[in-house]
Amino acid sequence: MSQKVTVVVMACQQAVPDPALFLGPLEKAGLRARVVLEPCSSKVEVFQMLRTLAGEADLLWVVGCPEQVCLLVEGSFRMTKRVAHAQDYLREIGLEPERLGMVQLPAGNQEILAATLSDIQDRAQALGVNPARAGAPLAKEQP
Amino acid sequence: MIIGTRKPLEEIQEMVKKYDRILLAGCDTCVAECASGGRREVAELAAALKMAFRLAGAEKDIQEASVDRQCVHEFLLDLVEAGQDRDAILSLACGAGVQALAHHLPETPVFPALDTQFIGETAGRGLWLENCRGCGNCMLGLTGGICPISRCAKSLLNGPCGGARAGLCEINLAREIVPEVPCAWLQIYDRLSALGELDRLLELSPPKDWSHGDAAGPRRVVRPDQQA
Repeated sequence: MSQKVTVVVMACQQAVPDPALFLGPLEKAGLRARVVLEPCSSKVEVFQMLRTLAGEADLLWVVGCPEQVCLLVEGSFRMTKRVAHAQDYLREIGLEPERLGMVQLPAGNQEILAATLSDIQDRAQALGVNPARAGAPLAKEQP
Repeated sequence: MIIGTRKPLEEIQEMVKKYDRILLAGCDTCVAECASGGRREVAELAAALKMAFRLAGAEKDIQEASVDRQCVHEFLLDLVEAGQDRDAILSLACGAGVQALAHHLPETPVFPALDTQFIGETAGRGLWLENCRGCGNCMLGLTGGICPISRCAKSLLNGPCGGARAGLCEINLAREIVPEVPCAWLQIYDRLSALGELDRLLELSPPKDWSHGDAAGPRRVVRPDQQA
């Protein structure tokens, strides 16, 4: 990767009480990372996901709790629906939907956390810089 | 309310590709309720268009704005002002809003980002049903509050056709519809039966006078008491 990949994580603060859980390992892996703590993953709207990918992120991950333990009862369910809708939008745009990921992470579950971090690093490696975000080199203009 | 759905992104992109400064104009009433043209959807589409154009090698200056009602002159003025220095406007309102905006900005191209679908009801989360055709001559008083013009596939006025099966309209046989479309006339019968007013069905409705509907050109309502 010639340019540092930026990963934004929007996380329910019940699932991720400390941003360092993501920040530390991702920065150690050579990625630029930002964690936005949310009161619930359902607070992440589709327009926020798209804006984040258009503005700063090469990869965006939304982290919620498992549906059965969601503090707002159906928050994680709604998050799943919204991520799917945003991924449909990305397909229409012509951008890889894999740039937007999600996980339902039980608080304190080290195994799922490690798998998620590994997944993020693999995708960063595979996808590289998001050609559709602000500041990325423009593709050659088409007629 | 008016139900609209967003056009495919490719179609929208094609309409505005030759313009550099574009205003996305939302409407925060009907089309916000059906999640297609309110300020959230404006923000979604703005981000999506920026990304789609970048992938095509173009950087666009896209602004966002939204008003409570794009079809009402007083509300529209903010958009007219915001559109003054724009090369083109993409409206996320219904067709009435798009035309109102175009009327007030005669020198700026205005494009529709939505397909206006119908007058409908929010029947559940993510479900909008057509239940009014704006026929101009409402007969809901005769049919227990269930409209046979919009909810019967054949718009029959005096009872069902022979196609209903298990309470469902026969159009369900032609293609998969989720949720299935019930037979409107069965619904009317059940409703009048529950109200104890089945005798209403003994009154035959005469052929409908469609001249009150959209068959006689653009309609207008004039209320002198409301005029300036």
